[in-house]
Amino acid sequence: MTYIPSADDLEVITREVWTSFLDGDPSGLVPSDGDNATDDKVTGCVHLSGAYTGAIMLQCSPPAARDAAAALFSVSPDDVTPAEVVDAMGEIANMVGGNVKSMLPGPSTLSLPSVIHGRLSLPGSQVVREVTLAWRTQPLTVSLWRQAS
Amino acid sequence: MIVARTLRVAGYDEHEIVEAGNGIQALESVAEAPPDVVLCDWNMPEMSGLELLTALRSAGWTVPFGFVTSEASPQMRVAAMAAGAMFLIAKPFTAQDFQDALDPMLA
Repeated sequence: MTYIPSADDLEVITREVWTSFLDGDPSGLVPSDGDNATDDKVTGCVHLSGAYTGAIMLQCSPPAARDAAAALFSVSPDDVTPAEVVDAMGEIANMVGGNVKSMLPGPSTLSLPSVIHGRLSLPGSQVVREVTLAWRTQPLTVSLWRQAS
Repeated sequence: MIVARTLRVAGYDEHEIVEAGNGIQALESVAEAPPDVVLCDWNMPEMSGLELLTALRSAGWTVPFGFVTSEASPQMRVAAMAAGAMFLIAKPFTAQDFQDALDPMLA
């Protein structure tokens, strides 16, 4: 039986990235009620292809993405540029995705990250694991997708 | 940028950091001004980090080379070392990880 990382695994990995780079306070990222349904999102995504084909996606609000970029690059939130938001969300998706990939069956290849302002749909793929957390009261959803074979 | 920031935190702020946007630029940069050490991602545009390392070694460059990557499977570590890498630092990393890897060659 192939192990697929659980929602708890996604949370642990996300927490590790967050506390290492974005917020040294482990209690800064708290469980959420899962309400992250608005379309006003910034999405970072990396794709996996190979033994496991799918994606790891990270979605949060524009203010959370701006704050993440500010924390990651040690600048004031007011000074964050759109390019830095893209860099930050891509880097975070890459870090979370790389760690999730290490728990999935291999070999597979991790893509370079993609970042969009809005929600991202992956036709032909479905969410197999998802966790929603809150950082500074802003929802943050991390999801693992799998492409139908 | 987070690598550069962590290098500063790790105490390497006296060193000049030269960034390359992809593997081809990195090859040009090494040829132009050989660095003390190359820190390289695994996944990159144009060529992978492993391809860059192989290209450098094929061209005769013996510059110390290490990976900083979000992926760190045992197979990748084996492939990295077999190609001539000196270390592989996995993200998320700490300043201590960089000190452990770089102090032997930079301190």
